[in-house]
Amino acid sequence: MKKRLHIPSLGGAKAVILHRPHATVQALGRQLAAIGLEYWDQWPDLTADALGTDFVFFDADMGHDAQFPWEPGEAPMPMIALIGSEAPGRIEWALVQGSDTQLHKPIGDGGVYSALLIARHAFEARRSLAIEISDLRARLDERQTVVRAVTLLATRGQTEAQAYAQLRHVAMAWQVTIEQAAQRIVARMAEETGQETGEDDGGRDDQSKRS
Amino acid sequence: MRRQIEIGILYSRQGSYALMSEACYTGAMNAIAQVNSDPQMNVELIAIERDPKCSIDLYQPLCAEILRETSARHVVGCMTSWSRKEVIPGLERAGGTLWYATPYEGFEASDHVVYTHACPNQHLVPLLQWAFDKFGKSAYLTGSNYIWGWEMNRVARDVVSHARGEVLGERYLPIGDTDVAHMIDEIRASRPNFIINSLIGSSSYAFLRAYAALGQQDPHFRPDTCPVLSCNLTEAELEELGQEAEGLIAAGPYFRGEAGWPNHPEQSFGSSLEASAFFAVYTLAGLLSRNSGAETAGLSELLRSPEAASAGIDAETHHTALPVLIAQVRGGKFNVLERWEGVSADPYLSRRSCAPQMQRPNLTVVK
Repeated sequence: MKKRLHIPSLGGAKAVILHRPHATVQALGRQLAAIGLEYWDQWPDLTADALGTDFVFFDADMGHDAQFPWEPGEAPMPMIALIGSEAPGRIEWALVQGSDTQLHKPIGDGGVYSALLIARHAFEARRSLAIEISDLRARLDERQTVVRAVTLLATRGQTEAQAYAQLRHVAMAWQVTIEQAAQRIVARMAEETGQETGEDDGGRDDQSKRS
Repeated sequence: MRRQIEIGILYSRQGSYALMSEACYTGAMNAIAQVNSDPQMNVELIAIERDPKCSIDLYQPLCAEILRETSARHVVGCMTSWSRKEVIPGLERAGGTLWYATPYEGFEASDHVVYTHACPNQHLVPLLQWAFDKFGKSAYLTGSNYIWGWEMNRVARDVVSHARGEVLGERYLPIGDTDVAHMIDEIRASRPNFIINSLIGSSSYAFLRAYAALGQQDPHFRPDTCPVLSCNLTEAELEELGQEAEGLIAAGPYFRGEAGWPNHPEQSFGSSLEASAFFAVYTLAGLLSRNSGAETAGLSELLRSPEAASAGIDAETHHTALPVLIAQVRGGKFNVLERWEGVSADPYLSRRSCAPQMQRPNLTVVK
């Protein structure tokens, strides 16, 4: 069975419209109110209040970086571009802002509900990917520690393959990643041989004793 | 001198769901007659009739024809959501308004539509919660293969799973298809607590007949233990169904013999469809009658007037606050089992959780 899109309850969600006073704001506002959101509009700059909203609609025609209280692409909520002029430079700018979806001006009869759902879905997918990527990067950075741990274990009369298998077993038993297990092993063996590793941490000792 | 105002009437008078749309047609035409004979009214309505014959491809051209060839800016009509969605782009271009008098699946609040019948928080959600208490929480879902069936069953799934119930099966038939054997087989095998019927027209009649026959074979599949529930069954179809309708349960804003349609408590109607279309035309006439420029005024302007609010039409959602009644067919007529008054429409089911609790204090048990 295909995965069903989770339809969030939008009642009471907050949205801010970054657009000069215009019919666009009225048309968008009516649909937001019908769906059940609280909204307000601001121009020319978003104030810190915007940080507490669940959605930002922003004008892609007249917008510029300094309007936002965050760096381009780092908005902490879904962003929906309001596009009038489909000029490549403006679309590029909207993308750099981190637009999760767009609505075309003039805002007509519909489109807002699907924009809210698509933007939230895209934002959440982007955020969970970012977390996964940063986790993978951290693990990549620990490659050298893994090599050191395997080398240290292999000095106790094991082959490299056996040492790596042992490291995997230990990681499973401690319920940590291979990289974390490698850090502990390197640190413990450094202590045993009286070397400074500079990677000490309290929790690790407790865990390794338990194991 | 009364102003003469043309209004479009776009109901199918023949075809697979003609019984339902004929009920709306009757309501609309009765309202026109009543408006035209009402000395308080400052307008005389002239019906511009078009018959799409339940053919989906005729709605948009006929609606466009009304808007192009006559002075009508308001069209009362459409039965299926599919046809409503077909005509909206043309209404938008021409600045027209559709008065839509049928229960529908929600998730819409068009600038160019006024919704005068119920949406899911006014039919499906209270019906399900009522059924959970009475029959249990395992459901079988049927529907016609278009947006009404799909979205009704989607909402039903959400409400059932939120209540920790179970959906035992979900099947669709194309509009007009009567091959219901597969559904009946699955229902026989899965033995749900109740069935949600979002089939329309001839598919629905075939299903209800086959299900009544199943109940003859196996007593589990009788109304006391496994009823069929629907949100679009009205008196308009009872005659067609005959004896097979006994025990069917429906949610709706009105059943024949009940009082309580907004602003028309004294009036009696054949069904909620008739009442809803009557209300649409009568309310529109009232709004147009108020001032001489109203026939060219935009819909948002008309709906901002106090008359629209007092009729229960919300200027934000364009939906109507309605009573919610749950009734069962007994002896050929609907008997109301429960009713809630003045339930505001929440077309996006967003003003409460996905499985809203009905306000218990408003509940009255009807004996």
